[in-house]
Amino acid sequence: MIQSTRPAQYGFAERWLPRLVLAPSFLLSLVFIYGFVAWNGYLSFTSSSLLPNYHWVGLHQYERLFANERWWVAVENLFKFGILFIGVSMLVGILLAILLDQKIRQEGALRTIYLYPMALSFIVTGTAWKWMLNPGLGLEKMMHDWGWTSFQFDWLVNPDMSIYTVVIAGIWQSSGFVMALFLAGLRGIDDSIIKAAQIDGATLPRIYWKIILPAMRPVFFSTLMILAHIAIKSFDLVVALTGGGPGFSSDLPATYMYAMAFTRGEMGLGSASAMMMLLTVSAVIVPYLYSELRRGR
Amino acid sequence: MGALAIKNVTKSFGDTHILKGIDIEIDDGQFLILVGPSGCGKSTLMNIIAGLESPTSGEVHIGDRIVNDVAPKDRDIAMVFQSYALYPTMNVRQNIAFGLETRGVPKKEQEEVINRVAKMLQMDHLLDRKPGQLSGGQRQRVAMGRALARDPILFLFDEPLSNLDAKLRVEMRTEIKQLHHRLKTTIVYVTHDQIEAMTLGDRIAVMKDGVIQQFGSPQDIYERPSNMFVASFIGSPSMNFIECHLAEQNGQIGVSLTSESDARFVPLKDGAKFAKRVGQEVVMGVRPEQLDVAHGDEMALGCKVMLTEPTGPDTMIFTRINGKDVTARVHPRDAKGPGEVMRLALDMGKVVFFDPKTQLRID
Repeated sequence: MIQSTRPAQYGFAERWLPRLVLAPSFLLSLVFIYGFVAWNGYLSFTSSSLLPNYHWVGLHQYERLFANERWWVAVENLFKFGILFIGVSMLVGILLAILLDQKIRQEGALRTIYLYPMALSFIVTGTAWKWMLNPGLGLEKMMHDWGWTSFQFDWLVNPDMSIYTVVIAGIWQSSGFVMALFLAGLRGIDDSIIKAAQIDGATLPRIYWKIILPAMRPVFFSTLMILAHIAIKSFDLVVALTGGGPGFSSDLPATYMYAMAFTRGEMGLGSASAMMMLLTVSAVIVPYLYSELRRGR
Repeated sequence: MGALAIKNVTKSFGDTHILKGIDIEIDDGQFLILVGPSGCGKSTLMNIIAGLESPTSGEVHIGDRIVNDVAPKDRDIAMVFQSYALYPTMNVRQNIAFGLETRGVPKKEQEEVINRVAKMLQMDHLLDRKPGQLSGGQRQRVAMGRALARDPILFLFDEPLSNLDAKLRVEMRTEIKQLHHRLKTTIVYVTHDQIEAMTLGDRIAVMKDGVIQQFGSPQDIYERPSNMFVASFIGSPSMNFIECHLAEQNGQIGVSLTSESDARFVPLKDGAKFAKRVGQEVVMGVRPEQLDVAHGDEMALGCKVMLTEPTGPDTMIFTRINGKDVTARVHPRDAKGPGEVMRLALDMGKVVFFDPKTQLRID
């Protein structure tokens, strides 16, 4: 036994010190994450309105939630936003990474420029894009001032299109990040593989499509995971850009939950929607964690 | 016209001159070795032959074409890389088939080629594995298989054995040589390992600083190195350089050699050739095996042994002559221990002389 070779008086401290050090953070996350998740779960089965109460009503809040038009708008928006945001960010990011990987000059500077949006908070991104997309202030006005008076770009105030402005801002913010992830992956590819493929007669697009991108599978999955949970939890971008409007046309589940729980005095309903979001995130993350942890073993 | 001709090829990046006028020509079926220390430009030259880089000036001929403006895929070459460069997501079969597919070879013919190559390299059982599931030696085999599938007029090997362990390297070396005997295809082979160069090559080009130092047959380069760099680079342990003074005694031209316990005047075999240089300093190049134990009463120098290194078949004796550390390769039976004195005789018919200033061999 290795432990028995050490002096006995260190035994106590050695055994308890790590646990003691970890205890506060363990306790905090136990209470403030898992405890509150459980509390929220409980509240979603009560008739809580402005303030929490513990009057058990079973699945009543979920029934109300699923009968609520605004909730379904939020869910539909989540799908539109999620699919477009993840898809286009990924596409733009990969394209940028491939272009930057062609051993160009000033690569470091370009990389920083594309990565910078990631350093901004979504609030800043949202506000900046709100100004740019505002018909009376931004792009549309600029075009009008330049003489193109028939130009119209009113997505921000058009209830059918407002969610797509959120998509645009989200893509602007995240594609640089996707690019950085893929660029790191591309750098891991041995140069001579490309040379070998050239001698084999493959064109550059074919080399990327058949050899390099398939080798990027792990990067692809990590990126998907990161973007997916950003998409599902998206809140600040909508708040800053459209405020969920016009009306509730650009609501996402997160903004819906906030509105119900904290501004409309429907805490039970808000809790139920929060539980639905938790389940969605788990559905994405748990299989991923499972496969990652299993591989690590 | 030979299989490959390189005519006055240069390559520069700005003010950095990587290749400074390379001329090489080899015949069909020959095994050309490009050897030299790292940074000598051998890999750049290889890439120029492959078409992955273009020369700043000069011409590259493959077969009877000038290929300067021909794309790599149209040069009818196949290349094996140091890192093997297997396509990681494809299995062995797909790796071999990729090039065939790209060139539009029909499916049925692809199958035949894959089976022929797999049989030739005895890797039938590996065909459905991914590169990640193969050992280093197996990957090397697959990389060669991929090149063989092409049936090109020119094979390029870029340090193919550097990533293998010592034992496997020797095995694969033999295998490559056998393959060459069987296929009789022209091969260009880059290496920094002089043993690979000597064992494999028909023709060796020794390079340094972007210049070919010597181009010839292995034996020629070993016995008659054109300068001190080639002499020290080829051969292991490397050639001893003994600085000495060329003098004339009793009508014979020779050199004086001094060890820690002896001094002697050693006449040259055909001293008349060096008559003009009498009185000058020269560097005598002696291979370790040309310094052997004196058995009879021939001209020999008593040398004090400083250190011995038994290698099994031979024992290396370290001693000093004319103030220089010198290695002698002797039979283990004759070796004496450190501190003892051994009588060593020079094979004066084989030693070579260099000019200490220009470092070139003196004929």
